Parts: sequence; C-alpha cells; structure tokens
Amino acid sequence: MNTMRIAWRNLWRNSRRTGITIVAMSLSTAVLIITYALMLGMMVQMEHSVTDVTVGQVQVHHRNYLKERSLYDTVDGWENILETARRDGIAAAPRAFGFGLLSSGNKSAGVQFWGVDPASEQQIGDMAKNLLKGTYLSGRPSMGVVLGRKLARTLHADVGTELVAVVQASDGSLGNELFHVRGILKSVGENLDRSVAIIDREDFASLFVLPDQYHEIALNSRGQLSPDEVAAKIRSSAGSNEVRTWRQILPGVSDMLNTSSGATMIFLVIFFLAAGLGVLNTLLMATYERIPEFGLLKAIGTSSWRILRDVSAEALVLGILSSILGGIIGTIVSLYFQYFPIDLSAFGEGFNTSGVVISAQWGALLTLRGIIWPIVIMWLVSVLAALYPAAKAARLDPVRALTHV
Amino acid sequence: MRQVCGIAFFLMAIATFVPTSVLPGSEPVSSADILNHVDDLFRGSSSHATMVMKVITAHYTREMKLVAWSKGKDYSLVRILEPLKEKGTSTLKAGNNIWNYLPKVKRVIKIPSSMMGGSWMGSHFTNDDLVKESRMADDYTHSITFEGTREGTEVIELTLIPKPEAAVVWGKVVATVRKSDWIPIKIDYYGEKLGLERSMTFSDIKTLGGRLAPATMQISPADKPGEYTLVTYDDIEFDIALKDSLFTLRTLQNPEAL
Repeated sequence: MNTMRIAWRNLWRNSRRTGITIVAMSLSTAVLIITYALMLGMMVQMEHSVTDVTVGQVQVHHRNYLKERSLYDTVDGWENILETARRDGIAAAPRAFGFGLLSSGNKSAGVQFWGVDPASEQQIGDMAKNLLKGTYLSGRPSMGVVLGRKLARTLHADVGTELVAVVQASDGSLGNELFHVRGILKSVGENLDRSVAIIDREDFASLFVLPDQYHEIALNSRGQLSPDEVAAKIRSSAGSNEVRTWRQILPGVSDMLNTSSGATMIFLVIFFLAAGLGVLNTLLMATYERIPEFGLLKAIGTSSWRILRDVSAEALVLGILSSILGGIIGTIVSLYFQYFPIDLSAFGEGFNTSGVVISAQWGALLTLRGIIWPIVIMWLVSVLAALYPAAKAARLDPVRALTHV
Repeated sequence: MRQVCGIAFFLMAIATFVPTSVLPGSEPVSSADILNHVDDLFRGSSSHATMVMKVITAHYTREMKLVAWSKGKDYSLVRILEPLKEKGTSTLKAGNNIWNYLPKVKRVIKIPSSMMGGSWMGSHFTNDDLVKESRMADDYTHSITFEGTREGTEVIELTLIPKPEAAVVWGKVVATVRKSDWIPIKIDYYGEKLGLERSMTFSDIKTLGGRLAPATMQISPADKPGEYTLVTYDDIEFDIALKDSLFTLRTLQNPEAL
C-alpha cells in the first residue's frame, strides 16, 4: 500500500513528464481499440454481405439437386426443416427454382425463375432493399415479377411491363402465364443480374405445376450463431438432404474473405507493434532520465529490489490511468463508428460478386475482447519499458548512476 | 440432338413433292433407293393428319391428341386437341423458325435459338427436330451392311456415315428395313463418339393415305432407359388443297380458324 502511495507521489513530482506519458499511452490504447473495432467490423461485414442478401448462412438441398438442378429433386420434408429452424430462432426461407423463357414482344430471354416467400426472404436477407426501382413482391400471389438488372435491359422491360413466361412444367405440359414487372434489382452479382426472375412461390407452383415443393431452404441466424452452428442444429432434421454452409457453397468467395481477413490481421499486428513501440520509447526516455535519481536513492541505502518495486508500481499506476482514459476515448470513438459507419461511397459504389453485395459503408464492431486486449498489451509494454532502465540503474554503482546523463 | 432424318418427316408429315421412282422389288437393290423410299414415305406436296402422342418419362406420363397440316417442306402447323387443359396450344413452323401459340395467355411466342434444343411439348422431340430435316441418301455415305433374317423377318440393314460437309450431328446412323417392301423397322442414331444416342422403332404397318406405312413410331433416348415417346397416326391425307394463309401467325393465334 505504501509502495503505491510513493508511486503516486513520485508520478506527480514531475507532472509534465507524467502528463506526456499518459497522453501517449492513452492515445495509443484508444487507437488500438478503434483499429481493432474497425478491422473486426470490416471482417464481420464482409461475411454478412455474403450471407445477408440471398445466400444465407446455410442452405439445404436435395442431395442430387446441385449436380443436375433437376426440377424434380426437391427438398424432402421441408416443413420439418422450416419448423426446426424457426423454433431455434433461425430465419428460414423456402425457394423453388426452374428454368424457362420470359418474353416481351419480340424480345425473349432464358431465365431462372425463383419462387420465393417474400415474408421469409425479408427475414433472411436484404434482397428487397436492393431494388433499383419499383417494389418487391407483395407477399400474395399476384403474377408480379422482380427482374435482375441486365435481364430487364435484355427484355426492354420496365416497371409495369407485361411479360409472358413459358416453361416446361413438371407434368410435361407447356406452362405459361402472364406476369407484370413489379421491380428491378440493383446489381447484385452476375448470375442474378443476367438471368434471375423472382416470383411468388404460389405463382411458381401454378406455372411449373409444382405445388408445395422447394429446391432450397436458406437459413440465416443474422449473426446469432456461426454458420457451422446453424448447420449442426439443422442437420438432425434434414434427413437425406444436403446441408451446406455458405463457405461450402461459395468456396471462391470464402477464400477471398479468408485472404482479406488474414491481411487485416497482419495490419492489426503491425498497428499493435507500432503503438507498443511508441509507448516503449516514451517510457524508456522517462525512466532513463531518472537514473541519477535512482543513484541518489541507492547512495542513501535503498535496496535494488526496492527501486525495482517502486518503478514497476509507477508503471502500473501509469498503465491504469492511461487505460482508463484510453479505454473511454477508444470506446466512444468506436461506438460512434459503429452507429455512424464511415461512408466510402465517394470512392466507389460498393462491390458485387456472386450475389454478394459489399457495402460502401464501413462500420466498426466493438467487442469486450477488443477493449481488453489493447489494455493488457499496454500494461505489459509499460511495465517492461520501465523495468529495463530501472534494473540497469539498480545494478549501477551509485556514484556512476548519480553522474549518468 | 438436331437433324434427325426421319423424325421430322414422321411428326410433321413434311410435305415435299418427290416422285417415288424406284419401288421395292426392283433389282439390283441400291442403298440410295431404299433410303429415298424411307424418306418419302410420309411426304407429299401437302398433308393433313391426326395423331396421338404418348410420352413416358421417369417423372410424368402424358398423352396428347394432335392435328397437323403441312405444305411444301417449309410450312407446318400442329395443334393440340387433347387434353382439354392444353387444347389449342399450337406450333407453327415456317422455314427455320418456330412459334408457339399459348391459348391460356393468348400470346404467340417465337422460340429463340437458345431454346431450340429444348423439348417440344414435353416429348423426346426437340424443337430442332421439327425444323431440321435432311435426306439420308444425300447427307450420308451409305452401304448395305446386312441382308438376311432377323427375328423371323427378311431385313436389309444400312449403315450411314455423314458426309464431311453435311450439317448433321450424328456420327453414324444404322437403318433396318423390311426386305419385301422397304418399310423401316428401326433406325439407330449414334453420337460423334459412336455411342447409341437414340432409337426409333416402327410398327403397326398399314395403309395410310393410300400408302403402306408404319402407323406407329417410338423414339427412345439411350441415356434414359424406360423413357420413350410414341406417335401413332390415326389418319393422314396427302396432296390436298391447303391455303397459304393457313401457315401464318394470324391463323396460329386463332384456334377456331382452320
């Protein structure tokens, strides 16, 4: 207790030096917290931009569906899977897929029809927010269709345009219906832009004569669970169906994300090193400056051990003060960026690939770990940086220490 | 799956006026004469036919009653009479183009070239099968590779290899006809790697439109065992008077107009 009081008094004997050190340490701590939060925010946001548009965290298909994309390979027992997922608080959306022809006047294009349940889709992802114009499907079968951007251009279609859909239905007949364009999607990846027409699941069922059957169940816990945890929960009720996480579905995007996460981690380590070295430098200089003082203490009979103890106590007090100050600054700034993301749209509109929309908004993500780690590192650095010169002084001959410059 | 000699003529009764000069029984037997006879079985300057098409697949079975008209080799029109749900659905072929009329939405759709390989009305025929046609004797080098008795019938087997410049997709075609009257029994189509891709078998030989011809044809894709499409002629007339206006988009859109 006595040691701490002496440390406290010692620190304020030279309040300017202490002030400078505290500012340097707390700013470094704050910068580390902010950087960590921003980097984490970027990594999490990249994963969410994959999972939260159309892909979802996990998808369930009939075990043969992805090989041949046959209209007949539908998910077995889809009601069961939907029920299990929703009981666990996981959003689940059933989707039916089929190929066919959309035609408007003398323009026509081969398309992939997506029969969706608009209400479930809105829980899965933000597709409905990615509209260039018009509105999303209403949720009632209404012969409305939402088109990919390039598909709309191919068909010369705009909101309200009448389109004829012609498909080979599941019973071999020539399924045909009239649709009206309700909305046109923003660019959300090449496949979606070029060839996808989204319709209500009941309109799909009558067009393809395929009632109550789905080719895909997309699942998304919206950040509550990891993709692997979602897959594990669903697997028990999936039967013979195939359950795959988005990383298995989009290995290319997964690799890209892993690479950029790796790069982000390297940047983070460099930042920590730079901040740590800055603090090390400040503390080293501050302690070196006091070597004559330690010589004096030794000359009047203070033990080396006592000097070491006092110096580390001072460093600890410095560390505590700076981490409180730095922690407060870092938390406030990180929270600010969490709620008011940095707008990068001046540098570009965002980035799209394979149904993945990387947003132009860069938000931070503050976690408890993101506050504790920078603080622990700062403490370690400050104690180490103070101990080295103090140990040196403690071992020096008092006379030489007194004249040390 | 395009360029199926024999399929188009059977389904659409492609009408081309070709005088059948050489008849079965004449000597010596030439493979070209046999092939011309097979090609011309269902040809006339025009035709009108009703038929039943039965499609068996792993996923569905369907049966349609069809009526078809043709004029020259470029024009034909097919309408579905049954089932009721699809009544009036029609296909017009003019040259290399195909249009479908869909009575449910009252619209005419031109089949884009990207969909020509797709199934025609859920059958094992593709849209291409309807428009592409060839004369076997002209597009292939051919020779008689077997003469004798098979399953109690005197047959002649011909093997056809496409000529280098011919626009056909098959690597080889093997046709078997009855020796007595050159009525086809079976035609096998092999792919470019010489694996069997599909077989046509003919049966139910009777007098149709004044000619002796098989009234039933079955087409079986080799890669889908158990699946086939069966076409049976109820009635066919050749060389009748048909107006050019029958083969227009206007008629196509008006199912009542015949």
